[in-house]
Amino acid sequence: MDLKTLTELNGISGDEGRVRRALMEAARPHCDEVSIDRSGNLICKKKGADPSLPEVLFAAHMDEVGFIIAGYTDDGLLRIRSVGGIDPRVIVSKWVLVGPDRLPGVIGAMAIHLQTMADRKKVLDYDGLYIDIGAKDKAEAEKLAPLGTYAAFDTAYTPFGEGMVIAKALDDRVGCYNLLRLLQGNYPCDITCCFVTQEEVGLRGSIGAAYGSQVEVALVFEGTAANDLGDVPESQRVCQVGYGVAVSFMDGASVGNRELFKLLPALAESAGIPCQIKQGVTGGNDAGSFQYGGDTGAGTARTMVLSVPCRYIHSGASVAALSDIDAQLHLAQEYLNNL
Amino acid sequence: MQVEEFLRSVTALPGLTGQEGQVAEYIAAAFRPYADEVKIDRCNNVIAHVKGDGPRLQFCAHLDEIGLMVSKIEEDGCLRLRNVGGVDPRIMPGMQVQVYGKRQLTGVIGAKAPHLLSQEEREQNYKREDLYVDLGMPAPQVRELVQVGDLVALEARYVNLQNGRIATKTADDRACVAILYRAMQLLRGMKHKADLYFVATCQEEIGSYGAAMTAFSIQPDYGIALDVCHAHTPGAPSWRTHELDALVASTGPFVHSMVRRKLMETAKQNNIQVQTAVVPRSTFTDADSMNIQRGGIPTALLELPLKYMHTAVEVLDMHTLEEGARLLAHFACAAELAWEDELWT
Repeated sequence: MDLKTLTELNGISGDEGRVRRALMEAARPHCDEVSIDRSGNLICKKKGADPSLPEVLFAAHMDEVGFIIAGYTDDGLLRIRSVGGIDPRVIVSKWVLVGPDRLPGVIGAMAIHLQTMADRKKVLDYDGLYIDIGAKDKAEAEKLAPLGTYAAFDTAYTPFGEGMVIAKALDDRVGCYNLLRLLQGNYPCDITCCFVTQEEVGLRGSIGAAYGSQVEVALVFEGTAANDLGDVPESQRVCQVGYGVAVSFMDGASVGNRELFKLLPALAESAGIPCQIKQGVTGGNDAGSFQYGGDTGAGTARTMVLSVPCRYIHSGASVAALSDIDAQLHLAQEYLNNL
Repeated sequence: MQVEEFLRSVTALPGLTGQEGQVAEYIAAAFRPYADEVKIDRCNNVIAHVKGDGPRLQFCAHLDEIGLMVSKIEEDGCLRLRNVGGVDPRIMPGMQVQVYGKRQLTGVIGAKAPHLLSQEEREQNYKREDLYVDLGMPAPQVRELVQVGDLVALEARYVNLQNGRIATKTADDRACVAILYRAMQLLRGMKHKADLYFVATCQEEIGSYGAAMTAFSIQPDYGIALDVCHAHTPGAPSWRTHELDALVASTGPFVHSMVRRKLMETAKQNNIQVQTAVVPRSTFTDADSMNIQRGGIPTALLELPLKYMHTAVEVLDMHTLEEGARLLAHFACAAELAWEDELWT
């Protein structure tokens, strides 16, 4: 399954079913065992050649940020809340698909001609934004998009520039895509690939996956904010798109295992895989669950996060370099083959 | 070609004010089967003549659009932008664009991520100078392909919503050009005495210059300018906005009262619903400049309501568009030289 298909599937946190079904179908032929756990995580296991080696766990999250229908206006517009963190300033005048039937909609806003000077300065927040699907009134809107219906950015996967791509949900379908590719190979040790739910709303799915696992090492595949262009001061630039997979010494949810932090960049260097150290501790991800299980004590693994640097993450048009996506996979394979 | 197909194609084309050549060519070709003569003048006005021997009428809708131009190329290859016409900077972050450099390039409008902003900065909208176009390529390559002044067009998508509503870029004012197109189709099966000029005008967004040029050269007896107006949207003053599903005709000093009255009578006779908008001064449409050409060309204004004007997701009602074409065609058939006696009563 290609990255285009994966990013164009809609799977907002809490509504990952379509992504899970597609991944399960694609992964099954390459796995020894496939299951769905009580938290909705898709767990794919593959035996290695050498049973004496310890198993290695990989994780990537299936869910993406999006919207949920939370009310209506009398003239048939859909009131929305964000699921996961989406800056309301990036959604004005954008396209969405609403619900399982992918009803097209747009996020409108009052025309500039009608705005007062105060309106122009004021950020339109979720109390002032809405999706227009063309419904004539509240009754029609309720029928077409009942309360709790999810909506996702409508973005076609678009290659552009030099080896770059624009898509929605690169965070973290790049990780899902690479886990699928990882499962297609053969390795000395057993591997478990966890496609987890609900990362964007607080690393919730991975807590369940950590509870169900007993591994020593967990590697998390992520997409992370690069902040490498424009007006970002040098001190806030954490990694660069096009310069390889980013290895984290620490982030908001976990501390990278020191041995892995030394080993992985060294392996990358000797194998000629582009790799960079993430220069900051922004964000948090599922590695926290595998390291200490959130607050549940479920996880006890040594963890490391391997990230694909992304621009405009959590918008309808995130950007990544295809070479960085490959580097994430290659570094993981290099690690497994050198155990 | 069905009018929907025309609308879909014509709204997708770039036609920033002053750079309307490509869209003018497309419109001229589409108009040709329905006119006796079609020409594009020196400034990219498209003029289609449907001959008759009654009063000379000019119908016009503008073909130019608001947009962006490259104003600077930064060290890191990011492009800074200036707008041509009233682009709302709130729609720009996260928007895909097409940059018309040495070749057509896809880009994304980026800004500093919210987690890097102070609380105070987060509570303000991004300003145009905070934004840039990311072309996804190294700076030297950007400089090779792009130069200051290159056209940048917003993402062009055409989306069918419920109830025959369409979301597209540049409905302002290509949806009204589509009304001209559809009216020309309808007139093929109707009898008219009037000598008709269907004009897609250039340079409206910076001051209705195309309408002035063409009204001067055509010198019609009467005119109808077609443009878009605002449909109801949350937060907007309801007395300045209208229902999406019916046409609007403005009234006020910048609209000729006799021509407007004839238009309203024609609507009534043909059971076409028209709402009234009250405009006390300039209408900011082609009607303003037509009314003062050649000593005065009595001109009325017919409007198609749009939601979210000057965004990439302008929403219109296809049924209203069709009604606009029907009204224009019937008006063309109703026009008589005898109207001259009623001009100033």
